[in-house]
Amino acid sequence: MSDITMPTATPGVGDERVAYRGVFQRLFIRPEIGAMIGGIGIWVFFWAVSLAFGTTAGASLLIDNASTVGIMAVAVSMLMIGGEFDLSAGANTGAMGILTVLLSKEAAEFGGAGLTLHIAIPISLMVALGIGFLNGWLVEKTKLPSFTITLATYYVLIGAKLGFSKRIVDQIQVGDIRDAKGHGFWVDIFAKEWIRNEHTFGSRDKVYLAAMLLAIAMIVVAIVEMHFNRCQTGPKAAGIPVFVAGVIGAVIGIVVLHTTDNMSGNWIGGAIIAIGTLVGLYGFGVWRFQPIGERDTVRFTPEIVRYVGLGVLGVLVAILVAWRMNANYPDADGVEEEFFFPFTKQGFRAASFLLAGGFGFTMLLVGGAKARRVSATTRSIISLITGAAIVAVAFFVRGESSSVKFRSEGFSVLLGLGLFVAAWTLLGVFFQERSAVDAQADRLGRRLVIGGMALGTIGLLTKLLFVKASELEAGIDPAKFSMRTVWFIAFTAVMVWVLGNTRFGSWTFAVGGNKEASRQVGVPAARTKTQLFMLVSGAAWLVGMLLAFRLNTIQSNTGNGEEFDYIIAAVVGGTLLTGGYGTALGGALGAAIVGMATLGFTSARWNSDWRFLFLGVILLLAMLANRSIRTKAEGLRR
Amino acid sequence: MTAHLLELDNISKYYGNIIALRDVSTYVNAGEVTCVLGDNGAGKSTFIKILAGVHQQTEGSIRMNGEEVRFDSPRGALAKGIATVYQDLAMVPLMSVWRNFFLGSEPTKNIGPFKWIDKSEAKRVAKSEMKKMGIDIRDTEQPVGTLSGGERQSVAIARAGYFGAKVLILDEPTSALGVKQSGVVLKRIVEARKQGLAVIFITHNPRHAYPVGNRFLILNRGQSMGSFAKEEISIDELTRLMAGGAELEALEHELQSADTDRR
Repeated sequence: MSDITMPTATPGVGDERVAYRGVFQRLFIRPEIGAMIGGIGIWVFFWAVSLAFGTTAGASLLIDNASTVGIMAVAVSMLMIGGEFDLSAGANTGAMGILTVLLSKEAAEFGGAGLTLHIAIPISLMVALGIGFLNGWLVEKTKLPSFTITLATYYVLIGAKLGFSKRIVDQIQVGDIRDAKGHGFWVDIFAKEWIRNEHTFGSRDKVYLAAMLLAIAMIVVAIVEMHFNRCQTGPKAAGIPVFVAGVIGAVIGIVVLHTTDNMSGNWIGGAIIAIGTLVGLYGFGVWRFQPIGERDTVRFTPEIVRYVGLGVLGVLVAILVAWRMNANYPDADGVEEEFFFPFTKQGFRAASFLLAGGFGFTMLLVGGAKARRVSATTRSIISLITGAAIVAVAFFVRGESSSVKFRSEGFSVLLGLGLFVAAWTLLGVFFQERSAVDAQADRLGRRLVIGGMALGTIGLLTKLLFVKASELEAGIDPAKFSMRTVWFIAFTAVMVWVLGNTRFGSWTFAVGGNKEASRQVGVPAARTKTQLFMLVSGAAWLVGMLLAFRLNTIQSNTGNGEEFDYIIAAVVGGTLLTGGYGTALGGALGAAIVGMATLGFTSARWNSDWRFLFLGVILLLAMLANRSIRTKAEGLRR
Repeated sequence: MTAHLLELDNISKYYGNIIALRDVSTYVNAGEVTCVLGDNGAGKSTFIKILAGVHQQTEGSIRMNGEEVRFDSPRGALAKGIATVYQDLAMVPLMSVWRNFFLGSEPTKNIGPFKWIDKSEAKRVAKSEMKKMGIDIRDTEQPVGTLSGGERQSVAIARAGYFGAKVLILDEPTSALGVKQSGVVLKRIVEARKQGLAVIFITHNPRHAYPVGNRFLILNRGQSMGSFAKEEISIDELTRLMAGGAELEALEHELQSADTDRR
């Protein structure tokens, strides 16, 4: 058919329509990023206003509280990605605990099967999977919404829990699982605890510091590798000695900082670190990156001026408010002054400082992003302003704050951030930024980020799991980590992998995104959905076991109503309520956020009646943030 | 006479007392395009669904290479090499191009019982297969939802070809598209034909069908108006037959007289 005339389609159409995205966008546009930033923000907020956050005891309590909800939230996120709901999930957790206890209880007049836990626990797992299968099968057979089917299952379960409990033990509380045969074996699996104060490790801080510094260095290198153009003429060896000298300088600075114990020693150490880092990064740049050619002109559009002005104003307001409101915390009698309901004066001061400062820096960041489009040099100037503002805030915090954590930890973190911005600006002045994809550099960068995160985790774990003898003498609060946390992390990790790397994971997205299309191409949609329901009920079994071995007795209403917490956690974590989009990690982060909100209120000694209001606001903000992230991600998603 | 790759012999389909399709016969050979034309309600959907294995014919037989076959399910039809690309149900918009390309048949690697998707292989194949179809996808991680309608159809066509389809059924691939995008899809049809696929192209637009088709089956109210080779029929004749021939002329008359009445 040579006579056909076709309208010509440009080959490779789409390429010129796809704009290049910067390193932060590429690294960080993921469904769970909203939850991650929100989580960090809330953590910093409560760290500032309360005592418990930021200590190991606080962290262990937080993660322990989040773990049971977190496991369920991860499973429920997957089910929601697959386009379904399970309202029976909450009641199911308690039901599995009760079932196991009743099966293992000594045989009595009305029941108690007297089974050993070695049999009772597998049986309850089978029952749980059976309930999940039934949910899935009913939803698939009847084509009714899973909302209604599992609502029915929910009522069946709460009825059965109450009915059987009363019938068999004549109480609404069943126990005690400690009496059951085989308890010793299973308690290690579901509830073994790591008591931190029993594990001393003398060089803990050295390991922690080394791992953390290396992790930060790797991530910084990854970011610059992904941000700047490789040198066109190949690497220039001239930069290497400068780089090495800078690194050595920074290391010497760190050693000085950690071996001197006086003010001037600290200052000298800090200065050496800063200079060493800047020199090292400059050397790294000379070695690997393309020097900037002709510099573009500085141009401030009214929009940029507006954002930067608002930003500077926000930072100034933060400083002024915190400075004027001398908090006198606590007063001479150790009583905190209530400023206005529900805040203490100290809490209000910290909150307004963080909010105004956070607003200011957000505006500065937005201004910087806008300036990037205008000219790189303008952007560098705004970066400098931002860096200066960070350093100013750091010194203000150090000078003004009465509490040690602000003076040391807060101050160092802020200075570190300031240093990062300064380094970023410096590199931007001398080297060419990338404007096209470089797959090789991206691969290297991504590997470095993953390696850095792994190292950082090792460092953090060392710090969390061990004490130093000196801390024990000072009478540090005991912190405990239990198997619940291990199960939570392991379950989340496995599910993240399953969702991203297996057929089942791919099919989960497919059946939630477009069931008919996936069926057309041979995805077993009904089987996938049923397996998802079974995954949720299997997770409910796991949580039931964790609860039973933590509490020893289970109330018949345990878990009822918690299904909404799971759904909230999943939504906060970026999972789309209508299915087809989301992550497993998001569910875990969402659970952590909900947990932080609850714990934060009590540990900040605020009136905890208000925590639901707070939760509602968080939910709303999370959904707004996730919506905008999703729109962005639809252009580029991993 | 040599056996055709796919031949339909007097297919009829009744839903209770409703006759959806009556005595329809046509065939398609490898490397050829058979267009099925018809207005709304002509029985095109029923025709596709029988071929795709969603429904089974009440009477008549289907032969592949001379052997009688029956498609009991979409999977069964797929297994015999009949791939159907539906206009609106072709893709999962929020999933990436490569995941969509391999959806349902992902290549896997394994260690013991643990199996996972071979992502780099999948991305590589998806990219090169799309290139064969003349579409250069820069990033196979791009969600399909960001592609244009024509490109989406192209992904589906490339996928069908890659997974060993012998017969490709396209259900109204151009009806929701603009002129330029339709052109893209028509080009893919020619491309698929060149690669030796038999294509059944369902459309209600004779202008799209005529340039690419080798054979035209015209349906009207569930009945075949005949199956013609390209040499036997002109595009005007095709249009006339499709609209019901005499009926259209009568309609034209009516419209004209209505016009004169108003004056």
